[in-house]
Amino acid sequence: MPEFNPNDLKPFADLAQSFAAKELAGKVAEHDRYPFGEFYEDVLKKIHEVGFLNAALPAELGGAGFGISALCEILMNLSEADASPAGIIFTQAFSQKILLVAEAQELARDIFSKAASAKDGLIAFPVYANPASTDVLPVAQSNGGDYTLTGRIELLVLGNLARQAIIPARSGIGPSYSFFLVNLDDQNVEKSEPVFTLGLHACPAVDVTFSGVRARLIGKENAGHHYFEKISPEMNASAAAMNAGILRGVYNEALAYSQKREQGGRLIIQWSEVAMMLAGLSVKADVAAMCVHQSCLELEQKKGSCEPHVSAAALHVAELACDATNDGIQILGGYGYMKDYGQEKRYRDARMVQALLGPVPFKKLDIIRQATNTNPNNV
Amino acid sequence: MLTNSEVASMLSRFPKFEDSYIGLSYAPRMPGHMVKETQEVIAIARKFNEEVANPLALKLDRITHEDPDYLPWDLVEEANRWGFYTMWIPKIFGGQGYNLPSISCFSEEVASVCAGIMNVIGVHYLAVTGLISSGNTRLAKKVMKEVVEGERSGKPCTLALATTEPGAGTDVEEVDLVDKGKVTCQARRVKGGYIVNGTKVFISMGHVSSWTVLYAYEDTKHPSETTIGFVVKTGTKGFSFGSHENKMGQRVCPASVLIFEDCFMPEEDVIFSPALAKKFTNKPFRDLAQRYLDYVVSATRPGVCAFGIGIARGAFEAALRYASTTCVNDRLLINNEWVQCHLAEMYKNVVLGRLAYTEANNANSHRGLYRFMQNKPAYYYLKTMPRFWFDKVISPMLNWEISARVMGKLLFDIPKPEDQYCCSGWASVAKFAGTDLGVKNCQMAIELMGQRGLRQDAGVEKMLRDIKLLQIYEGTNQLNRLNAFKCLIAPAAPQAKVFDE
Repeated sequence: MPEFNPNDLKPFADLAQSFAAKELAGKVAEHDRYPFGEFYEDVLKKIHEVGFLNAALPAELGGAGFGISALCEILMNLSEADASPAGIIFTQAFSQKILLVAEAQELARDIFSKAASAKDGLIAFPVYANPASTDVLPVAQSNGGDYTLTGRIELLVLGNLARQAIIPARSGIGPSYSFFLVNLDDQNVEKSEPVFTLGLHACPAVDVTFSGVRARLIGKENAGHHYFEKISPEMNASAAAMNAGILRGVYNEALAYSQKREQGGRLIIQWSEVAMMLAGLSVKADVAAMCVHQSCLELEQKKGSCEPHVSAAALHVAELACDATNDGIQILGGYGYMKDYGQEKRYRDARMVQALLGPVPFKKLDIIRQATNTNPNNV
Repeated sequence: MLTNSEVASMLSRFPKFEDSYIGLSYAPRMPGHMVKETQEVIAIARKFNEEVANPLALKLDRITHEDPDYLPWDLVEEANRWGFYTMWIPKIFGGQGYNLPSISCFSEEVASVCAGIMNVIGVHYLAVTGLISSGNTRLAKKVMKEVVEGERSGKPCTLALATTEPGAGTDVEEVDLVDKGKVTCQARRVKGGYIVNGTKVFISMGHVSSWTVLYAYEDTKHPSETTIGFVVKTGTKGFSFGSHENKMGQRVCPASVLIFEDCFMPEEDVIFSPALAKKFTNKPFRDLAQRYLDYVVSATRPGVCAFGIGIARGAFEAALRYASTTCVNDRLLINNEWVQCHLAEMYKNVVLGRLAYTEANNANSHRGLYRFMQNKPAYYYLKTMPRFWFDKVISPMLNWEISARVMGKLLFDIPKPEDQYCCSGWASVAKFAGTDLGVKNCQMAIELMGQRGLRQDAGVEKMLRDIKLLQIYEGTNQLNRLNAFKCLIAPAAPQAKVFDE
C-alpha cells in the first residue's frame, strides 16, 4: 500500500500554481466572458502540453499516470485561481475513468494515441448528471454489433470542443443504462450554442440531440450504473478538490482585502465581526483541504468501505464552499459583487462544482441507499 | 388582576410591547381602504409581470452579458408608460399617491420575476424618499413636477441617490462611523452656493436618471456635522458619469460612477444642510443627520426585504414547477416526502420575510415617516380631495418657506428618539432577515434542481446572482445587524457601546 505523504504532492502543487500564475492570473475575468467573449484556445493547448488533460490516464495509454492525490492537488491549485480549467480536466478525467473501468483500454489507446491536438483527445461527458436519477436518457438501438442513439442530452460538457463524447443511454426497458462512444462530428448529431450557465463559463457545455447516430458500446451493456458507481468516489474527491481550491482562493482574497480596506477609521480586519467572518473562511478552507487529503488517502490505500466517506466529504466541502463564497463577497462589500474581483466568480463556480455528479439531495439519499442497500424509491 | 400602572410597568420591560407588537398597535389607525388599494397594486404588478417583466427578464440579462455597456432606456420608458414613477409620489407633489407600504408588495411581485427590473423602478423611490424626507417641500415639488410631466410627455424623468464613495461604503450609512471614514466628496462654500468635487460609486440608475440626490460634506474631516444634500440635474456643468460597473447580477439596473469636478450647485438646490436646519430646530445637526438618514433607510430597507422575499418567492415557485414536472425513478419529485418538506421550508421563508417587511412598514406608518399619511384622517383626505385642490391650492403653498419650516419641525424637531429607533431597528431586522432568507431559498432551489438550475434559461441561477447584491446594498447585512442591535437591543443593555469597539 502506498503511504500518503503530502510532501510527495508538492511538485504537483508547484506545477499547478506556476501554470495558474503564468496562464490564468490577471485573465480570469476575460476567460470567464465566454460564451460572450473568445474561448481560451491557447490555455486549453497549454493544459494539454503540460500533461494536465491526460493526468488521470495511465502512462501506457499515453497519459501522465497521476494517482488521485496528484490529480486532486492539481485541481485544487488550479481552482484557487480559476475553476474553469479544472472543470475541463475533471471532465476529461471522468471520461477517461469510464473507459478504464469498463476495460476499454484499447478504445482509449486508439483515441489518445491518434490525438494530434488537445481538442482531438477531448471526450465530452455530461458531468452534472447522475444517469441513474435521470428519467429521460437517449435510447440505444442495437443493430447487430453496433448501436444507434436517439434522444437528447443536456449540458454535455466540452461538447462544443470535443470530437467525441461518452453518452449514457438506455437500450431496454427499466432503469439500467450503458455508456456509448459517439462521434460528435456525425451529421446526425445536432449541437446547441454553448449554454449560458451560472459559472465555469470557460468549461463550456452544450445541449445535444442525437437522431439515429452510430454509437459504440463501452464495456458491457447495462453496466453503466456499475461503472458510474465505481468511479464516483474518485470523481467525488476530485470535485471536493475543486471546491477546496475555490475556498482557499476565497479566503486568500478576503484576507488580503481586509488588510487593505479601511472602514470606520481602521482596517476592516480590525473589526471583530470581519475577523470572525475571516476565521470562518479559514476554518472552512482548512477543513475542506483535510477532507480532500483524507479522501485521497483512503482512495490511494483502497480502503474497501471508503466510498461513503468520500461522498460525505464531497458534500460537506461543497456546502462549505457555497457558504464561504457568499461570505467572501460580503467581506469585499460592493467590490466583491463586481467582476473586477475574483469573489463573485467563485460564488458562481462553487455552485457548479457542487452540482457535479448530480443534485445534492440525491447524493445525500445515495449515502443512505448504499449504507442500507435499499432501493432509491424506498429511502 | 393588575392595576393600570402595573400593566404599564410590565409592558415597558424589555422587549417593550410598543416595539414588539407594532401591527397590533397600528391596526386601529390603519385606513381600511389601504387593503383594497394594496390589492390593486398587487394586481397591477402581476399584470406588468405577465406583459413586460416575464418576457424581458432573461432576455435583458443575456443582452447585458453580450453588451456590458447596455443601458435600460426602453425599460425605463415602459415603466414610465405604466405610471410607476409617479405611483407612490404623494398627491401633494402631483403624484398618484398610492399608500407607501404598498410599494413593498409591488416590489415582492416584480422581484419574484426579476429583481433587476424592480430595481429600475424601485431605486427612483430611494431618491424620492431622500428628497421628501429632507422636508424641503419647494425642491421636492420642483423635481416631482418634472417626474409627473415626464410621465405625461412620455419622456421619463427619474431620480437616483448618491452616497457611496470609493473609500466609504458602510461609513456613509451611519453617522457614528462617517467621521472616522474616508469621505472625499466635498462641497466648498462659495458665493451663491457650493462647488462640489468628488466621486460617487455604485449609484444605481445613475446613468439613466434625470436628477440625482447627492450628499457631500463641507468639511470631510467632520462630515456628520457638515453634511449637505443637493439635487443635481444630469447635464449640469462639472457633473459627469464614469463607467458603469460590471456586476454579477441585477445587470439590467446599471451601477454608475458619478464624477463631480468643480461642479457649482446653487444655494436653491440644497435640500438639507446645517444652515437650513437652524431655521426649524436648535438640536445638534449631527442628531438631525442621523434622523434624516434613519428616515430614508427606515423606508427603503423594508423595500429591500421585499425585493429579497420576491426573489425567495421566485425561487420557490421555480422549485415547485420543477418538482411538479420532473420524474425521478418513475415518481414525480413532488410526491417525495423530502421534497414536500423542502418546499414547505421555502414557503415558510417567504411568509416570514413578508411578515418582517410588513411589520417594518407598520412601524413607519405608526411611528415614522409614513405616519403623516397612513392614518385615517390624512389618508381619506388625500384620497378624496380632487386633483385641482392639490394643483391649485396646496401646490403653491409648498414654495413658501413656512412650509419647509413646518415640515422640518414635524420631521426633525417633534418626533421622539424612541420612535426613530423602533423604525430604524425594524427596518434593519427586515432587511437582513429578508435578504438572508432570499439567499437561502435560491440555494435550496439550485440544489433541488441540479443541472437544470445551473442554466440561465431556467431562471434560478439568475436569482442566485441577483439576490447576493441585496445582502450588500442599503447597508451590508452586518451593518444592519449592528444597527438593529443599536436601536432595539442596546437600550436594554446600558453598558453596551455600538460602533465603538
